[in-house]
Amino acid sequence: MRSSIRLRRTVTAVAAIGLLAVSCSSDDTSDEPTSGESPEASETDGEVTPVDGPAITVGSFNFPESVILAEIYAQALEANGYTVERNLNLGARELIFPELENDGIDLLPEYVGSALGVGFGGAPTGDLDETLAALTAEFEAIGASLGAPAPGEDKNVFVVTQAFADDNGVADIADLAGVDEVRFAGPPECEGRETCLGGLQDVYGLSNLAFQSVQEASTRIADLENGNIDMTLLFSTQPVIAQKGFVALEDSLGMIPVENIVPVLSAEATEAYGADLIALLDSISASITTEALIDLNTRVEIDVEDPADVAAAFLAENA
Amino acid sequence: MSVLAQSTGTPFFRWDWVTSHTDDIWAATVEHLQLTGLAVGSGLVVAIGLAVVSRRWRPLYGPLTAASGLLYTIPSLAAFALLVPLFGFTRITATIALASYTLLILLRNTVAGLDAVPAEVREAAVGMGYTPVRQFFEVELPLALPVIVAGVRIATVTVVGLVTVTALIGMGGLGAFILNGIRRSIAFPTEIIVGTVASVLLAAILDLILLGVERSLTPWAARR
Amino acid sequence: MNELGFWERLGDWLTDSATWSGDGGLLQLTLDHIWVSVLATAVAVAIAAPPALWLAHRRRGRFAATALANIGRAVPSFGIIVIAAVVFIRAGGSARFWPLVIALVALAIPPIFTNAYTAVTEVDRATVEAALGMGHTEREVLRHVELPLATPLILEGVRLAFIQVIATATLGAVVSSGGGLGRPIVDGFATYRSGGDVKLVGGALMVALLTIVADRAFAGAERLFVPDGVRRLFPDVGEPLDVSTV
Repeated sequence: MRSSIRLRRTVTAVAAIGLLAVSCSSDDTSDEPTSGESPEASETDGEVTPVDGPAITVGSFNFPESVILAEIYAQALEANGYTVERNLNLGARELIFPELENDGIDLLPEYVGSALGVGFGGAPTGDLDETLAALTAEFEAIGASLGAPAPGEDKNVFVVTQAFADDNGVADIADLAGVDEVRFAGPPECEGRETCLGGLQDVYGLSNLAFQSVQEASTRIADLENGNIDMTLLFSTQPVIAQKGFVALEDSLGMIPVENIVPVLSAEATEAYGADLIALLDSISASITTEALIDLNTRVEIDVEDPADVAAAFLAENA
Repeated sequence: MSVLAQSTGTPFFRWDWVTSHTDDIWAATVEHLQLTGLAVGSGLVVAIGLAVVSRRWRPLYGPLTAASGLLYTIPSLAAFALLVPLFGFTRITATIALASYTLLILLRNTVAGLDAVPAEVREAAVGMGYTPVRQFFEVELPLALPVIVAGVRIATVTVVGLVTVTALIGMGGLGAFILNGIRRSIAFPTEIIVGTVASVLLAAILDLILLGVERSLTPWAARR
Repeated sequence: MNELGFWERLGDWLTDSATWSGDGGLLQLTLDHIWVSVLATAVAVAIAAPPALWLAHRRRGRFAATALANIGRAVPSFGIIVIAAVVFIRAGGSARFWPLVIALVALAIPPIFTNAYTAVTEVDRATVEAALGMGHTEREVLRHVELPLATPLILEGVRLAFIQVIATATLGAVVSSGGGLGRPIVDGFATYRSGGDVKLVGGALMVALLTIVADRAFAGAERLFVPDGVRRLFPDVGEPLDVSTV
């Protein structure tokens, strides 16, 4: 039900972009009538020949950037004649990987380090080639394949306020050892992970962390801003870091793994479309830089635009 | 434009977001209705079954209401948590948990409605040669219907509110707006308020519709 | 990843002393949960009961009482908790305690108000008039005649509100690090496939147990509070909740 509405909206959004071809502000696109247009509208301008084969179900995690990336890949596939279904905003990786394995999801924008560490229990490092090789092997074992990694990455960062950094002379995670107690809030899954709380304690040897589990980003960020906590876990592409003037701590010991974007294809999709599809995905991934990610996130998180609209605009700009 | 809005801080409510998301709101409302209908519908089927059982074996009525009262006290989040290991993050989990909240209300009202059917009417049906099954569906149940519908009203309004919580197991309906509103970097109150208010409106509309049904089933009461 | 079966891991988790002790331990979480629930219910009684009793005594505001009951049922508690949290956050506060208390108070008011109102209006009119005829003031009638006779139903409303508050407080864990026993449930959902499933089910069992125990304990307390003579008039006191009257 939901996906069919999303599908209709994106089809019309793509059509609108194609027809207008104007560098329009977000407000203009969102005011476009989204109903009453026939699906054929998208075929009148592009002369796309449909690709034969099974539908590609695009999945995403349940945070905005993942949804935007999924929309970017999904709309690019649609524009090239593939049949696409969407299954977005799913939960954590633990819930999604089984779907990828049994072809419930065919395409998933992944993050190199988290996919290896959280998805397969592997050991991602700060080295892209090394981590990518290990991840490729893991995915091949379940018949899935990877596109080329995008230049852009979105890694975990531990952020503090400027005031906290100044008062305690903290610029690197290692500097936290000199603070009496660090009130640290992270999402629930942070607690056990070696790239999160576990790593802070084991790699950096910090024993002065008072951890609080706070699930939603908005409350964690507000807690940091309002002085209820000293440090929280964010993603490096979250525009709020620059907006609020937070300080992202350096990771001198290289605990935080590389997190370049990489599209994962299920066994079914790999078998059905193989190299052609991968080449298409790679051409899209090449334009996904870290700056582009921050910009995309700004439009969705700060300006409250729709991920589908933002993705369509991105594709129009980078075509 | 947007940079300006950003530097002055986001307003608490943005009406333009509402007008540009009417189809999303509609889709979520439909999903919300479906989840509500599934829960109240299956709750009603089970409650009528239990009512029949407890009328035949009267001593069971006490334990059955006690058990459904117990289900009613279990927090919805806990009910989802206990069902997810069995049924996953699915509509089945949502439906079972929500339906269990309706049992107490629906069972009591169904039994009360059936009990209120006059003995003479029942005897007349027997005298006319109705089989017990036919007597139940064609005589007793229709006469008990107004009281049952009154229960359905309460159950429906309660469930509409509880459906919002299913967003936490990935279902959504209007609750997905509430959750998305805090899932961003900076909370977006508009979305939270839209989810909440739409849920209240949906409950109010369903309440009025069911009130109309209740009245039409008891024309003598309305004419008073 | 886990060699042991689910039930064994659940048993291990529940019997591990680390599960129960410390700041985030189940004991502390249970106490937090009870504290926030008792506080919210008490505040709601203080706010809702006096006007309900007085209005009912004067036989005014019937429409308000019914409307409040209906609105109370229709408002999604999840939405109220999230809105309260966001308002506090925007004002520069923390979402951990007070927004949850305020949201819970708002949710507890309708059943308490409506039940108290209904309880007084259902006191036999002849009894009230007899008392007035004997020269008692309005205030005396309310306090010494209507209130004792209405106590059982008033307390039923408070019990219903209290149980709903305990159940709803779990949702506080979605918006902050608080939320009492909601904490292991929310954390358990987030880490479901990596061993959080036992936390999820263990937490859910704890909170279910808490609501049931609280319900029974409150019912027992009701019996103590209600005078013998009045109790004989209301044999149902302390029975399972009668939600349809509220």
